[in-house]
Amino acid sequence: MSGKNDKKIILVCDTDGKQREADYADTIISVLAEEKLDDQVQVVRVAELGIYGQGVIARILPENITYKLNDEAMINQIVSEVIKKNKTLRDAVLEADPKQLKIVLRNCGIIDPEKIDDYIGQDGYQALAKVIFDSSPQDVIEQLKISGLRGRGGGGFPTATKWNFARSTEADQKYIICNADEGDPGAYMDRSVLEGDPHSVIEGMIIGGFAIGADKGYFYIRAEYPLAIERVQKAIDQAREYGLLGENILGSNFSFDLDIRLGAGAFVCGEETALIASIEGKRGCPTPRPPYPSISGLWKNPTVINNVETLANIAVILLKGAKWFSGIGSATAKGTKVFALTGKVKNSGLIEVPMGITLREIVYEIGGGVFEDKKIKAVQTGGPSGGVIPKEFLDTPVDYENLQKLGSIMGSGGMIVLDEDDCMVDIAKFYLRFCVDESCGKCAPCRIGGFQMLNYLKAISRGKATQDDLVKLENICNAVKKASLCGLGQTAPNPILSTIKYYREEYNQHINDRRCAAKKCADLLRFVISKEKCVSCGMCSRACPVNAIPKNENKEYIINQEQCIKCGKCFDTCKFDAVIRE
Amino acid sequence: MIKAKINNIDVQVKKGSTILDAAKLINVHIPTLCKHPDLHATAGCGICIVKIKGTNKMMRSCCTPLDEGMDIITHDQELQQTRKTVIELILSNHPNDCLQCGRNNNCELQKLAGDFGIREFPFKQHLRNLPEDGSTGTISLVPEKCILCGRCVQVCQDLQDVWALSFLERGLNTRISAAGDINLADSPCIKCGQCSAHCPTGAIVEFDQTHQVWQSLYNPDKYCVVQIAPAVRVAIGEAFGFSEGANLTGKLYSALRMLGFKAVFDTTFGADLTIVEEASEFVERFVHKKGALPLITSCCPSWVDYMERFYPDMIEYFSTAKSPHEMVGVLSKTYYAQKNKIDPAKIQMISVMPCTAKKYEVSRSEQMFASGYQDIDIVLTTRELARMIKQAGIDFANLPDESADHILGDYTGAGVIFGATGGVMEAALRTAYHYVTNKKLAKLEFNNVRGLEGVKETEIDIEGTIVKIAVAHGIGNVEYVLKKVEKAIAEKTELPYHFIEVMACPGGCVGGGGQPYGVTDKLRIKRAQGLYQEDADTKIRSSHENPFVCKLYAEFLGKPLGEKSHKLLHTRYTPKPMYKK
Amino acid sequence: MNKLTKDSLNKIKQENSKPRKNWIKVGMSTCGIAAGADVVLETLKQEVKKRNLDVSVGQCGCAGKCYAEPLVEVCIDGVPQVIYGNIDKKSAIEIIERHVTNKQLLNDHIYNVKGR
Repeated sequence: MSGKNDKKIILVCDTDGKQREADYADTIISVLAEEKLDDQVQVVRVAELGIYGQGVIARILPENITYKLNDEAMINQIVSEVIKKNKTLRDAVLEADPKQLKIVLRNCGIIDPEKIDDYIGQDGYQALAKVIFDSSPQDVIEQLKISGLRGRGGGGFPTATKWNFARSTEADQKYIICNADEGDPGAYMDRSVLEGDPHSVIEGMIIGGFAIGADKGYFYIRAEYPLAIERVQKAIDQAREYGLLGENILGSNFSFDLDIRLGAGAFVCGEETALIASIEGKRGCPTPRPPYPSISGLWKNPTVINNVETLANIAVILLKGAKWFSGIGSATAKGTKVFALTGKVKNSGLIEVPMGITLREIVYEIGGGVFEDKKIKAVQTGGPSGGVIPKEFLDTPVDYENLQKLGSIMGSGGMIVLDEDDCMVDIAKFYLRFCVDESCGKCAPCRIGGFQMLNYLKAISRGKATQDDLVKLENICNAVKKASLCGLGQTAPNPILSTIKYYREEYNQHINDRRCAAKKCADLLRFVISKEKCVSCGMCSRACPVNAIPKNENKEYIINQEQCIKCGKCFDTCKFDAVIRE
Repeated sequence: MIKAKINNIDVQVKKGSTILDAAKLINVHIPTLCKHPDLHATAGCGICIVKIKGTNKMMRSCCTPLDEGMDIITHDQELQQTRKTVIELILSNHPNDCLQCGRNNNCELQKLAGDFGIREFPFKQHLRNLPEDGSTGTISLVPEKCILCGRCVQVCQDLQDVWALSFLERGLNTRISAAGDINLADSPCIKCGQCSAHCPTGAIVEFDQTHQVWQSLYNPDKYCVVQIAPAVRVAIGEAFGFSEGANLTGKLYSALRMLGFKAVFDTTFGADLTIVEEASEFVERFVHKKGALPLITSCCPSWVDYMERFYPDMIEYFSTAKSPHEMVGVLSKTYYAQKNKIDPAKIQMISVMPCTAKKYEVSRSEQMFASGYQDIDIVLTTRELARMIKQAGIDFANLPDESADHILGDYTGAGVIFGATGGVMEAALRTAYHYVTNKKLAKLEFNNVRGLEGVKETEIDIEGTIVKIAVAHGIGNVEYVLKKVEKAIAEKTELPYHFIEVMACPGGCVGGGGQPYGVTDKLRIKRAQGLYQEDADTKIRSSHENPFVCKLYAEFLGKPLGEKSHKLLHTRYTPKPMYKK
Repeated sequence: MNKLTKDSLNKIKQENSKPRKNWIKVGMSTCGIAAGADVVLETLKQEVKKRNLDVSVGQCGCAGKCYAEPLVEVCIDGVPQVIYGNIDKKSAIEIIERHVTNKQLLNDHIYNVKGR
């Protein structure tokens, strides 16, 4: 605001999102009107101020001070003291505590991803210039080592070590590959980075090429990301035009160039060796390691494969310093992690948090809490390779080791909030089905084991399994985990093992009592219409796709259980809560 | 050298050796369904897992190199249980119809299930209901029985460089098929059958024609005659408990007569005849400059098929001499029939071959009908014959040795070694030397062309004239030789070779796709030794010295490369598309 | 285009890191476009052109608040810089009329305030 126009603004925000009898914003406006201040102060109802669970709050601009509005007295006080007298009510100030820290997403939502000048304006390619002219490849790797950066694709392998392997392997040709074959259900961290700030990844790759001695790199992007592909291609073209790619980068004697290769939609191609096979034009199947790609990778040359997020960290680390980076995060995990926070959370979206933050902070202070204020049941991390973390462990600091200890993994960044309506058998089934669909078929444990595990889960969710089946299921889980060739198979049983570990009682309920407490497993449910509540409106009858609810004007409706396919349409349609799941 | 421990036993191996190989050295057997000694590890089956102390992962021993100081456990409760579960999983996706299976009693999966004492199937059976592909008439693809070990695909793509077989689809729907999901007959498949020889289960087997042979034998209107190829005699014993490479020619003749064949011939006679024709051809081209060089051997039907599809420009270099069994076939329905006053229409000529592609060769072109009938009626593989002998209740091991029928059963040592890589070349050189110099060779053995090296290149001095030769076996080794020839021809430089021998199967016919299962290099060498030993023990060791071959020319054929020879003993080649539409 | 040197790179950096005023940015990543950001961007461009305003309308990537897409960030001299969420064609016009022209903040759409 310019000095002349120092008009105050009161932002009013309901941080609980509840229905309230009194509209505090209206109250403030009427108080202001009484004081004849309504011309000088604008009151704005806002959707969000980054603070949750504090009732109604008000933020005063231009001072940018936030107060909690407990009652009308507080409103009067704010108007009389803060607005009229320009005082600060120190005791009532609510400090906003920004939980997020944007390093990887530093430019996302800020710059125009299609303009290289925008990126350069945000210190873009400064790290590259610094590295090329003032550092040796060994220095770069040393810096990364100090920074403590670990792979963000899920494995958490130290990036410096990976680079050093490739660097110290003698070869005429080396490659660096950006793994953008993001495929976990519900995860889109990499897509957002590539769409929002492609140059940060490109810069990371060029620096990687410099560090390991590669002059060629590939983006391996799944074809289902057309916009990301378009923006990366534009970014490559612009960088090439500026001489940031190609021969003699920035006039130095370092040359490096990049190309895009498209993934054809197989999840397993995110696995390093399968990804390499795919780029080589072969069937995208994993091959045994060793040899590791950093020793013998693409066309048998040393190849570093890094995830998008890992690469987006590189330039900042080298520009701001490894010490700065290693100062962020937990003891074993440095820096930040981007998560796609989804599920039963109010604010689903992309978040970036320092390592070591607790799940509770993520869910409640960033995510705004559970949808419809239901009870949280668990948080699922690591997608189909991960597991569930029950609410009892919400205060666990998030890093690679902690999540692993709990039977889940960090993964690439999928984070799904589950509430009391989620059935754990159903969750395990969902993820396993994904892995079964995506198994490449090469190795027997994953190919057949996955299918058989899914059979048992289906039987459990239909109430047709025995305790003996549960034993067999666990047996297969262990065999598949141990005997599968690649990460996809080795981790496919995780969602089952972790749900059995924490929610065995729920499995037992399905098996012994044929009951699904979360009312998710349709085969264990019955839909009935309550005599008392039914008003004979006929909506359910019209909604039913199989005519299982015959018209019965002026009398309560009845669901024909023989015909019912348990689709739940009547339940969703009934406005009088007369349809009951039991 | 790498020093490590396996099951607390010290081992020392070459750097790069796998844990699986290292364990073998100390007599620890780690089971596997996918690793084959001929092939690099595909790591598909997940059974050869071991533990490395200090890590919590299980590693596949087939593809994990032993590292210095490693401490390996190959067997413990958890490993045994995991292996058993994996086997049970594989069985849940397999028909388990062992009794009706081509690999009954001979199946690696069946053996493993037996070893692990599988007595029940804990998991629900799920079959893939995939159709068989017997379109080539040489091998049958039974994808339902496939455990996706990947050996066949690797054999077809890497060992043979044919790329007919491939994996299709993914997950539980993954299956083997001709690439592009077409019939194998429409694919570039050269019918070598190496896929079937390497398959651990009954998913690829020879196209069984024993039934047809029984029908012929039982038919009183048919006059059934038979011939056996050189390589069969040193491999059939494996089916009857003989030591590897045992030469059982005499017992084979007895068994064939007991099966009901009216006459027993030997393809080796045809081999001698082939050499006489082919050596004459070489002398024509090399000495008299009539025809193109290098001369390339053409006894191997898979190799002929490969060349017609992949290298049609090289047709002119091929020897036009028919393969030995085709020569015996045409002579049985002409010379033999006339001499013994038998209606050739009634003759059923059955060839017992180490080869699946021979089943295709018998009708590959009109020249295979030179007698006026199909010269060879049915081809059996060694494996099929072994089954027939067992069915007939013949106590093979205790049979007396018999001789073959004259004259199509009389052969020299040169003919016998046809069954091993380099053998055709060696036999041809013995005769060609004589044709050029009119002298007897001082030393008959050409050791440079023997052995299992993929490409053997050497020079022969024929009285001051240098003949440059190459011997390749396994189609994957052919490209190196042919590219050199192509380059020299294109650049009009000196030819790298004058004479080239190619056999499609590794090791030559002894390692043929129709031979008993379980072939390894060790076994190939043993079988070849069986042949070389017979050669060494034979009095007459050069084809042109075979008195019955001479007699045949005198009585019937005239002279080598003469008009009748051309009509009966030579063939033609035509370029063929790699894929039939 | 001449290839950059270290100096010319720095020059571009200088030119592009100055704070700017009077601009509107629309989050045009897949999440935004799926929620209708392309329509919002087009509307904003048309409205600015129609009214002949000295405001640049551009695009940016995803700011993370996917639940509130389409997101529009507005920086107009004399009004706090805010990010609006859940913007559609109608509210986009409102941004131009109310925020850009009358320098008043919109109700119920603010998802972040970036100070002044």
